[in-house]
Amino acid sequence: MSRIKRVDKFVVEREKETTLHLKPGVFPLGRQSEWSAQNRTLTFALHPLTTEVAVSVAGKLSRENISKDIKVYAPDERVYFCKTVGVPDGRLPFVNDTHAVFLAMQSIMGQEAEEVGVEGLLRLSALYREAMLRQVRMLQDVEQQQKESDFVETEVEIFQSMHAIWHLLEIIYLTTNLPGLNTSVVPYYMEWLNFNFPAPLAEDGQRIADSARDADALNNNAELWPYLKKLAIRGHMTTLANMLEQVAPAQDLSSSSARWARELARVSREMPLGTNDETTGSFNARWRRWSNETHDISTAIGSVISEENDDPQLSSLFRIAEILRGEVDVISEEGELWQDVLGAILLYSEPTAQADRLPTLAQVVLEQFQTDEFTQVDRALVALLNHDLAEFLVYSNQIDNWLSAHTSDIMDHLGILEEWRSVFAMEPRAHYLHLLGEKYLSHQDLWHVGLDYFGQSKSPMGLSLVEETIIRMPLESDKRAQKILDICAKYRLTTAVDRIHRQLGRQKWQRGRLGAAIAHFAQVGDRNAIGQICDQLWTEYLKSGNLTYGPIIDGIMASGRIRHDRLQFLTQYRDFHESYKAGDFTAAGRLLLAILVDETAPSHAIPDLLVDAIPLLEGDGLVFSADDTFELMRCAEALTQSPIVKKSIDSVADPMLPWSEDSPATTRQDELGIFNVACARNLARSFVVL
Amino acid sequence: MNSLQVQPVARTVTSVRWLPPRAGNAYTDTDLHFISGSSSKHKELVLWTTGNPDFKQLNDSDTDNIEESNVLASLVTKTSHDGDVHAIAAASSETVVTASSFGTISIYNIGYESECNLSLRESVTAHRFANGEPAACTALSVQPTGASDAEVASCGEDGKLSYAPISRLDGLQSHEVDSTVITGICWPTPTQLAISTRAGQVKLFDRRSPSEVSAVFVDPSQSYDFECITAHPSQSFRLVTGTNTGAVLLWDIRNPKQPTMEAFNVHQSNVWSVQFHPTDSSKIVSCSEDASLAVTQWVTENNNSDSQNRGVRHLSSFFNALSINCFDICPFTRTSIIVAGSDSGNLLMEKSPANEFSMF
Repeated sequence: MSRIKRVDKFVVEREKETTLHLKPGVFPLGRQSEWSAQNRTLTFALHPLTTEVAVSVAGKLSRENISKDIKVYAPDERVYFCKTVGVPDGRLPFVNDTHAVFLAMQSIMGQEAEEVGVEGLLRLSALYREAMLRQVRMLQDVEQQQKESDFVETEVEIFQSMHAIWHLLEIIYLTTNLPGLNTSVVPYYMEWLNFNFPAPLAEDGQRIADSARDADALNNNAELWPYLKKLAIRGHMTTLANMLEQVAPAQDLSSSSARWARELARVSREMPLGTNDETTGSFNARWRRWSNETHDISTAIGSVISEENDDPQLSSLFRIAEILRGEVDVISEEGELWQDVLGAILLYSEPTAQADRLPTLAQVVLEQFQTDEFTQVDRALVALLNHDLAEFLVYSNQIDNWLSAHTSDIMDHLGILEEWRSVFAMEPRAHYLHLLGEKYLSHQDLWHVGLDYFGQSKSPMGLSLVEETIIRMPLESDKRAQKILDICAKYRLTTAVDRIHRQLGRQKWQRGRLGAAIAHFAQVGDRNAIGQICDQLWTEYLKSGNLTYGPIIDGIMASGRIRHDRLQFLTQYRDFHESYKAGDFTAAGRLLLAILVDETAPSHAIPDLLVDAIPLLEGDGLVFSADDTFELMRCAEALTQSPIVKKSIDSVADPMLPWSEDSPATTRQDELGIFNVACARNLARSFVVL
Repeated sequence: MNSLQVQPVARTVTSVRWLPPRAGNAYTDTDLHFISGSSSKHKELVLWTTGNPDFKQLNDSDTDNIEESNVLASLVTKTSHDGDVHAIAAASSETVVTASSFGTISIYNIGYESECNLSLRESVTAHRFANGEPAACTALSVQPTGASDAEVASCGEDGKLSYAPISRLDGLQSHEVDSTVITGICWPTPTQLAISTRAGQVKLFDRRSPSEVSAVFVDPSQSYDFECITAHPSQSFRLVTGTNTGAVLLWDIRNPKQPTMEAFNVHQSNVWSVQFHPTDSSKIVSCSEDASLAVTQWVTENNNSDSQNRGVRHLSSFFNALSINCFDICPFTRTSIIVAGSDSGNLLMEKSPANEFSMF
């Protein structure tokens, strides 16, 4: 319970605040109060998608209420655009690499989690670590090229820390947790320690060895004995044994020192190492024998020291022997880092310890260190050793969003995060993935990656974030729009697809690309918008008298995926024109009648269609039969009786109505009269023919 | 699935093109050059060089080390580009033409003197919407005449097709040929242009009678958007289009009234670029939003018409999760070298000796 309270403190802890002075800025550094006294304050607006902020100067009081003496300076009239760099460009390769591993993990664990198991996660975890190490190498290359590179140095530190933390997590929850493997954590811990906190450096050993021509020179090297103690602390037994054997023949070394150096070299070489084939009982028996022997050697050296207490080499040998027998006080004095001390205690006192012993041992070690001075990395590592995952995630997030997001993800796949769920206000994996996604979205090249982190959180909130973000994405180009629609399809965001198509439709409409606009509106079944565009095409035809919309209609109708009455009307009307132009009056008449009878035409277009029928009614040949003529007359009658159309006929000129008051030569009523007369004459002719 | 080698370049690569050899067609240069274009944050053209694998010596330890260290190509020079680079065409080893998201066609000169450089020679706005906004230029293609003053043709989101001689871009002619977006363009012959449209049409346009489209082809059985088009290098009646559903369609338009079409469903998502393999045109290479390249054998030895049984080789990389936007195959080497660019900020490469390509 107390632990959870402690975690709560961190969960509610505010993120770091940073004060920045804009340079060039609105006021000189350090003169804020003077500047503020002159009725000035700052106003800002956040960009909805990026981390960009627009900052400008504003007045605290309105102009009427201030003294006229207050001057306005040029900086007051500027707008400053500031941007925090969420993801530096140098991180892009790492972000893309780990995004690929992350997606692979979601895919594998989603489909075949049981088959893949811990072994599969271990392989993917190794890929994450590989990406971190690759990034460190790349940054170190850059660091060598750039002389002043504080930023690169910080990045290297972050990635090295992240690697150390990830590596330890991998050892505790994956490597030593493989099914059927009841293995000790000690060799893996020592490997982790020596890989991530390399000391003693191999170069130091080389330098000491190179500087010594013989055993005497080696013995006189001031760095030798501290180095040997470091070797003992880190468990580099072969190197320790070699160097002890090299120094043993030195003339300056007392006979007892030489003897015990050889003895220690021997026991160092004989330290038992566990193997997978050996049972724990057998290893423990070997270990006890070895431990007793080191204990005897240590006791023996101790008794010699009491007699020859001024021999510094013998004292060093005694301390090495004490380290080998697992004397905690000596180990604590000789270990520089708490990780060193824990490693030596594990190695020499509990060589068969498993991961569940780590919290107890860590507690013993940490009591001897000032934990107040610990860095975030130390705290994260300690939390991990204590299996306190909530605290671990909080500290990881303070180190880098990437770490908290990916560690919470892998912990979730392992099923170990569930017990910590109550500590967090929301599901931790989703929370940290969302934070990382948000960070990535601030980089122009990472919008897709950011959306994937939202979407793969597999939470309703994640999908909402994808949806909310994606509908605000700038649709800069057709290809970009296609990519955005693909993501919508991937996450089944039907509402977003609808909105994006409507947005694209409006965008194309505004740009005069009516065909493309219709295609987009057709995707979401916006019949109203399609009808409006068709009306626009019709109006343009009536205004210009040129029927130019043919290619537009053909382009979008060709695929056969768009069905709309207005489009059908425009197509038939275009075909009617073409038939008429080609002199095929019968086909033209049939098309015109079909348009009227099928009622595909909008009501406001019917008067024009009736007028179009007049030349066919009055032509030399008989185009319309008596029945056809009756149909035409019925349409005309319906038109005159329709209250809306009737009103519009009588109304002031309307661009949608071709029969405008300023129609040349005739009025609307006259044209209707001519149509009626033509119908009557055609009817008479049809009877005569009959 | 075969693996592509990856080199992170920290920019969204939208176009790549190999440059022709600097002296004649026999590629004797030990270094090959290609140019990449990028979009989003880094709108740039970058000139790269890579070793010619035909000249790789046996036991060449240096080259092996380079490959191990993930350096597929070295950056030679770069220059900023006005807008996202949507397409690149190489007119010669010293001249490249680019298409931009701002609707411009630009010509860049490449200098190989003491210090290599890319310099903008000329730029012209080729595509614009009716309301005056610039329309993105979606693709471009250089006339396959072999003459020194070939024409470059471009297409755009404004539904227009534009062309002009490379030496006189100001003499640009434009024709509106589609009501939707034109997504791809190619020259089947030196006088004929073929375009693919968002509405799933292939249109032919004769350069000599520019007033109208000479033929339109549609697949009535399916509802596709076309994303790209290319023509067979020697059989002008064969065209290939890539669709938004991941299919590659092979057209035979010998009979324009009844064109035949064969579909190869080789990808999971939009096919962004497609090409006949320049040294083995029985293969079609395509790249897609699904982060893979596909090499499709469309000619079968015993005339097997079952497209399912034909060989398709997929190429991808574990470390490249996002769309492969573009690729190009070097036509000047015996070793087939494919270079591709992706949204994951990677250059991808595959080098396979010529004899390996006859395996399937």
